Amino acid sequence: MFKHILESAGNINWMAISALITFAVIFMVSVVLVFKHNPAYIDRMASMPLDDSYPVNSENDNHEK
Amino acid sequence: MAQVERFSYDNAIVRKFAYATIIFGVVGILVGLIAALQLVFPTLNLGIPYTTFGRIRPLHTNAAIFAFVGNGIFMGVYYSLQRLLKTRMFSKGLSEFHFWGWQAIILAAAITLPLGITSAKEYAELEWPIDLAIAAVWVAFGINMFGTILKRREQHLYVAIWFYIATWVTVTVLHIGNNLELPVHLWKSYPVFAGVQDALIQWWYGHNAVAFFLTTPYLGLMYYYLPKAANRPVYSYKLSIIHFWALIFIYIWAGPHHLLYTSLPDWAQSLGTVFSVMLIAPSWGGMLNGLLTLRGAWDRVRQDPILKFMVVAVTAYGMSTFEGPMLSIKSVNAISHYTDWTIGHVHIGTLGWNGFLTFGILYWLIPRLFNTKLHSLKLANAHFWIGTLGILFYAIPLYWAGWTQSLMWKQFTPDGFLQYGNFLETVTQIIPMYGLRALGGTLYVAGYFVMVYNLIKTIQAGSFIGDEAAEAPPASTWAAHHGKEHWHRWIERRPVQMLIAATIAILIGGMVEIFPMAMIDDQVPRIESVTPYTPLELEGRDIYIREGCLGCHSQMVRPFRSETERYGEYSKSGEFIYDRPFLWGSKRTGPDLHRVGGKYPHSWHYNHMYEPQSTSPGSIMPPYPWLLRDELNTSNTAAKIRALQTLGTPYPEGYDQIAVEDLQKQAKIVADNLRKDGIDDDKLEEKEIIAVIAYLQRLGTDIKPKPQAGN
Repeated sequence: MFKHILESAGNINWMAISALITFAVIFMVSVVLVFKHNPAYIDRMASMPLDDSYPVNSENDNHEK
Repeated sequence: MAQVERFSYDNAIVRKFAYATIIFGVVGILVGLIAALQLVFPTLNLGIPYTTFGRIRPLHTNAAIFAFVGNGIFMGVYYSLQRLLKTRMFSKGLSEFHFWGWQAIILAAAITLPLGITSAKEYAELEWPIDLAIAAVWVAFGINMFGTILKRREQHLYVAIWFYIATWVTVTVLHIGNNLELPVHLWKSYPVFAGVQDALIQWWYGHNAVAFFLTTPYLGLMYYYLPKAANRPVYSYKLSIIHFWALIFIYIWAGPHHLLYTSLPDWAQSLGTVFSVMLIAPSWGGMLNGLLTLRGAWDRVRQDPILKFMVVAVTAYGMSTFEGPMLSIKSVNAISHYTDWTIGHVHIGTLGWNGFLTFGILYWLIPRLFNTKLHSLKLANAHFWIGTLGILFYAIPLYWAGWTQSLMWKQFTPDGFLQYGNFLETVTQIIPMYGLRALGGTLYVAGYFVMVYNLIKTIQAGSFIGDEAAEAPPASTWAAHHGKEHWHRWIERRPVQMLIAATIAILIGGMVEIFPMAMIDDQVPRIESVTPYTPLELEGRDIYIREGCLGCHSQMVRPFRSETERYGEYSKSGEFIYDRPFLWGSKRTGPDLHRVGGKYPHSWHYNHMYEPQSTSPGSIMPPYPWLLRDELNTSNTAAKIRALQTLGTPYPEGYDQIAVEDLQKQAKIVADNLRKDGIDDDKLEEKEIIAVIAYLQRLGTDIKPKPQAGN
């Protein structure tokens, strides 16, 4: 049935099917692995741009309010 | 903190790229505005070669993409990379080489493109010596970036850096792949691939130039500067990881959506459609991640122009990446392709996404580099509103123009004839929209000048911090760590492995698409009656390329009744096997020319080129009087024949020796034909127009005497 659906979508050959399967597998594996990350590590990475430097002169909000 | 190392960030290189992006932004947008006005007032082409639309358009696109956005990328990367890695750039010398080399390339483009020196590949027009220079500068940037990553004091690589790495590796692959060409002389080359294969590789490149030059580096900048400006961490770091891997894997497949309903094999078109539609998922994941970063800070968006610019930029990214997949659906593409809808779509991306994010970053960055406050928040707010109106006035009329023109192309009378059989009717109908678009461009430029003034005043009020002092724990505090760890933490601590993984991800798509096309002859059915161009036609074709005719004229009749009625038999892949480069085009400001051969007498083309309005009243095509005046240069004809023979075009052995003789014979026939129609000129046979007429009269005629289906 799936083959029929894919074929009727426009003469997709084995390359398109294998491409979809490759992507689906990589995507699902990466999603599972990403959600197994340690929350503390994720929090630290997320805030990295905010503490990305230890400037000697403090970094204030540099435009007028 | 047990121990820290003191060092400094190099702000001088960031300032240089910031100035370059500001200056080239003005240039790129102004050239675009001139091109937009030329479509409304054709006299602005000025009647000289260097300022005609066909040569100005690639100057605009190259300036906007590689000069404005390119310098913007490097500005953002050089600032954020040092801070995210807590180290100074790897090499001052490489930074300087990168900066001055890139500006020299821009200068070379600004000189060669108006001179008509072009490879005719959209967004890769620059000829081979400049391509080599780009490769050298890009490699220097790569060494500098990876050198900085390797000497970092921060253990982990933040997601922005992954986007920078993916950008570098993919642009390297794309640049090499799409510039495989054989030089004829210093400023002329022919691509290794021909016809449909060349088309596939060009749009694999062209689409991914959008993906990996206009998108991924800017996503990296978004993930750094948006949290900075909002003073909040990114909404979901997990989402950013999925965003990254899904985006770089899928993006590379989507190129064939630029070639729907063309002679490209159906399987490749379908592949492009499927992956383009899938692309909306990671794109919108990234957009939502950006917008949700502002959760709890929306009150600040009302007051802070930097956040306003960034919110509109991310929203424009969302709009473009919704529209892109939609335009990749064949039934929608049948309407949108070759129309101004596409132009509107890409400008939402460049003006909104790239432009506004660059402006937001500049407003955030310049005061910090100069240790001062922004000169005027009011002016920045004014810039925001003028620019936003400019985008709306730019895009909406073009959408309207695209829909109008496409529907007019396809409209039949109840008797089954084309209602608008004269293509020109569909052009004159949308000229008011072109006028409004030019107004939108003017507003955008006006806003830009407000920013330039504001930033100059800010710079004058501050004092530049060339070396910004900083301190951080040394790498030795984490370098010795071993043991079991999560796979992703493992890989993102190792930039080289990250580079390899990203390369594999992008190569899979490229290989599956391109290898079968490049290697298997069956993909391009041969047609017996299709023969190589004569030397005169070849020279005419190279003039067609020089003048940028493909900027307004396609050479691809799609298999729709509305097109076969208007132009003739639909185009077959086998008709293009000697086309180096392919000239299918991507926009029809004028009609398709693939079947123009034999449609008009020679004298019509002669008069049309001299004054288009004389044969087509109301036409917005610029005149080409120099084609009637200048003599054809045949000094490279033999070398061109030899180069094409090397690439596989079956000219007889030793044909290069008699090519010019053949050329002159054919030129005399064309000139005699013109004289019969009362057109005469001193040395008529030797003029460039003769070659152009020979080429145009050849177009699409190979299958006319004895039509063969081919496929």
